[in-house]
Amino acid sequence: MTDTKLDILQGTLDLMVLRTLTALGSMHGYGIARRIEELSDNNLILNQGTIYISLVRLEQQGWIKSKWGISENNRRARFYTITKSGTAQLETERANWERMAMVVGRVLAAGAN
Amino acid sequence: MRALHALVARLRATFTAGRVDREFDEELLAHFEMLVDDLRRAGYSNDDARREAARKLGRLDPLREDHRNQRGYPALDLVVQSLRHALRRLAKTPGFAIVVALTLALGIGANTALFSLVDNLLLRSLPVRDPDQLVRLQVFLLEESGRNTKPHAPDFGRAVFASVRAEHRIVEDVVGYQTTDRAAIAIDGVVQRERAVDVVSPNFFTALGVRPVAGRWPDTSDVNVAAISERWWRSQFGGAAGVLGRTITIDGKNYAIVGVAAARFHGFDLDRSVDAWIAPASGPLMMVARLQSGVTPKQAELALHRLLIEEVDARERTLPMATEALPVGSGLSGLRDQYRGALLALMGLVTLVLLATCANVGNLVMLRNTARRRELALRAALGASRSRLIGISLGETALLGVAGCIGGLLLARIGVAAIVAMLPLPAPPDALTFHADVRVLGFAAGTCMLGALLFGVAPALRATDVNFTGWLQSSHGLTAPARTRQIGRFFVGAQVALSVLLLVGAGLFVQTLRNLSRLHVGFSTEQTFQLLIDSRFAGYDDKDVPALSQTLLARLNEVPGVRAASRTRNRLMMGTTGMSMGIRLPGISEPIDNWDGLEVGPQFFETMGLTLLRGRLFVTADFVSSVDPRRSAEAARAYDRGFAGPLIVNESFVKRYFPGTDPLAAGPRIVGVVKDAKLLSVKDDVRPLMFLASPRPPFFGAVQVRAVGDAQAIEKAIRRAVSAVHPQLLSDMSTLGEVSARSIAKERMVATISGFFSVLGLVLAAIGIFGIASSAVGQRTKELGIRRALGAGRWVLVREALRESFVVFGFGLSAGALAAFIAVRWTSSFVGDLLYGLTATDAINFLTAIGAMVVVAVAACTIPAVRATRVDPLLSIRQD
Repeated sequence: MTDTKLDILQGTLDLMVLRTLTALGSMHGYGIARRIEELSDNNLILNQGTIYISLVRLEQQGWIKSKWGISENNRRARFYTITKSGTAQLETERANWERMAMVVGRVLAAGAN
Repeated sequence: MRALHALVARLRATFTAGRVDREFDEELLAHFEMLVDDLRRAGYSNDDARREAARKLGRLDPLREDHRNQRGYPALDLVVQSLRHALRRLAKTPGFAIVVALTLALGIGANTALFSLVDNLLLRSLPVRDPDQLVRLQVFLLEESGRNTKPHAPDFGRAVFASVRAEHRIVEDVVGYQTTDRAAIAIDGVVQRERAVDVVSPNFFTALGVRPVAGRWPDTSDVNVAAISERWWRSQFGGAAGVLGRTITIDGKNYAIVGVAAARFHGFDLDRSVDAWIAPASGPLMMVARLQSGVTPKQAELALHRLLIEEVDARERTLPMATEALPVGSGLSGLRDQYRGALLALMGLVTLVLLATCANVGNLVMLRNTARRRELALRAALGASRSRLIGISLGETALLGVAGCIGGLLLARIGVAAIVAMLPLPAPPDALTFHADVRVLGFAAGTCMLGALLFGVAPALRATDVNFTGWLQSSHGLTAPARTRQIGRFFVGAQVALSVLLLVGAGLFVQTLRNLSRLHVGFSTEQTFQLLIDSRFAGYDDKDVPALSQTLLARLNEVPGVRAASRTRNRLMMGTTGMSMGIRLPGISEPIDNWDGLEVGPQFFETMGLTLLRGRLFVTADFVSSVDPRRSAEAARAYDRGFAGPLIVNESFVKRYFPGTDPLAAGPRIVGVVKDAKLLSVKDDVRPLMFLASPRPPFFGAVQVRAVGDAQAIEKAIRRAVSAVHPQLLSDMSTLGEVSARSIAKERMVATISGFFSVLGLVLAAIGIFGIASSAVGQRTKELGIRRALGAGRWVLVREALRESFVVFGFGLSAGALAAFIAVRWTSSFVGDLLYGLTATDAINFLTAIGAMVVVAVAACTIPAVRATRVDPLLSIRQD
């Protein structure tokens, strides 16, 4: 079963976390992980713990900020929100990703001939 | 920007690591529980939900590791951890920590203090733009004997400034300044003592490239304005901008303050920190030129000579003269010339002190590590890497080093103040003040790092490079391996050697001071006072001085207990008067050109208690000017100073200029011969000296008073008598004993400092010897006990136990003696100027130092030796 799933590319997790946060507003790590899993339709291998490493990294860059709060089922959890510079970063990263996907797609298409 | 953001975040996380890690765990736990909740809602059983949640979250330990690496810096983490660990360990042995930090602080403090003085006085450039281009221009009269020490034309008028400034190929600009002699300064009516004031040309600051920290500089349109130093601004006005526009009164004239000079700018003279500059100047000024880049002082001398001698009287222009362009980029300083040798000698000495303190600390750290080997072995066995063990050991050293460094800076500050207090300066110049600036801090930090390398690294490597399991298994867990002991022995031997060096050096200086203070000066010093009279400060004009001096001396003679009072133009004990003008005397074919002159008033010889050998002393008639000043002002001036009247000479003068003949028979000028006395300098040999009877002093110098009776009561009475004439007249009063003590202030300073540190070195060496001797006894308790049980005598045991210490001591002593022997030979020419009554290679001094070291070593070994003889055979064998 596992070999049909995708490993996460370096850096793509950060991108997905940022995108998720723009969609969800303020959310805790578990919520982010659940949302990514839902959207991936179980195509991803995600050690949910690695989300937190990504969150530390993003917060160090100042793209997200965090605050302790209470979750929907009354648990103390840390909530993350995307910052203005995070939104800008997401746009840059998204454009980069799309260009990269296009380039990879073209190369692969050319290779098929 | 991003990088900085991340850096700050990581650093913050490093220092709050505990909290950050706890929060991370809390977050993961919350995540885990939410996940379990969701899974149970999806139909998992309780156990399955927990298992599945754990799987989805991933393994926790690698995650935590990743987190640690991401949140901070792994290498920094290790450092912070080591330091925290080291701090806890040091707190457990505060005695060790305090002794080590204090020793280091002394070593670093002594070096930093001396460096601060050496840097300020010898190395530093003036805080101006391109200081290397600045030269002071003066014209000297050339004499057959070489260059005169007094400039013939020290200052120049406006016209010369203009013509020099026009020489664009040579000079970029010219500035002028003139010192105001003992100016009376007041701000808002409050008199300011001990502040120096210069008169300057309006372009002074702009041409030098000194920035104003407040306000602006005087310009050519200004009338009576002043700039003040940053130091004065801070101390007097608290650095407030309100100082601008305030009025400063100098010799009765008002000046408006328009600017404050950049910090640490105090003019060209390092010894006389100028605190105020006034403009515009009216009289002639000293000239400092900024040369065009690439122009050497020599070229400037040649190119400007003709312009500069314009100033010299036309009649004298035929005399051989030379222009001197003296580089002033690092300031002018008499103190520098006088103290260079002393400061460098002390710098060398305190370097030895630093090495000795490092050796001492090295030895202490070594002993401590030895005592801790079991603990280190245990840690290694439990899996601590060697780098972590080294980290722990180095962490302690680093903490001690930092503590020593901070303590050292504090001690340096105190030390500089203490050294400056030993010097005979009324107001310490800024150049002698301790400034904790980049250079000084850098030096202290560098010294500290050097120290840490010397005492910290070897013990750290040694302590951790061991076969740990071997130790843990052995029952002799406390015997240090041979190599560790070797390094300890090296440290102690080095201490002994350095101590010998210090003792030999300090011995020379201490003996010099003793020789000087026991010197017989040839006149009474204790009951004779020297008063410095400041007639200008009290508002007298120079032409009032003769009358004033008569009044004053008359009043002083009326004071009960006063036997005699007189006056001199120059203060006594201020060094040679260095007159070299050629004087023709009857009976001598050559003009005499190497003599000291003392212009004295009536009763001088009686006051000083000088013994008349032949002829007569001055009488009242000698002090009556017979020249009518209206007829020839020049002749009257010469007569007023005594150059035309009768002379009394000293024995040395007779020996030098009248060998085997009678000076009194040569003509009417010389009327008497007195016994040699060290009136001008304690240190220097008495030179040929002529006493000139000066009828009217041109300005006030010093007054001498001899009295009998209770010294304190008399001092008070004298002060009262002077104040009765004018309350502002007296600027200083001391006995000639105090004055002569001040004249050997440099020797006292060098002797005090070197004596202090040699005692310190000796104490450190004693601690070192005591350390290895007692640890040797401690380590061999068992062996000694067995020997004792087998019937060995007490003395055999002592010899056995201390043999190692004696060998170490012997090596240290020999090495030290050899090094000292070479050192005194090497430095004898250089140190010779600082010595009096002995030479650097003095054998007694050498043997005394070695003797002192031996005595101290024996004393340090006493307690361990006694312990060795008291070893109880039964107890020591049962020890394990």
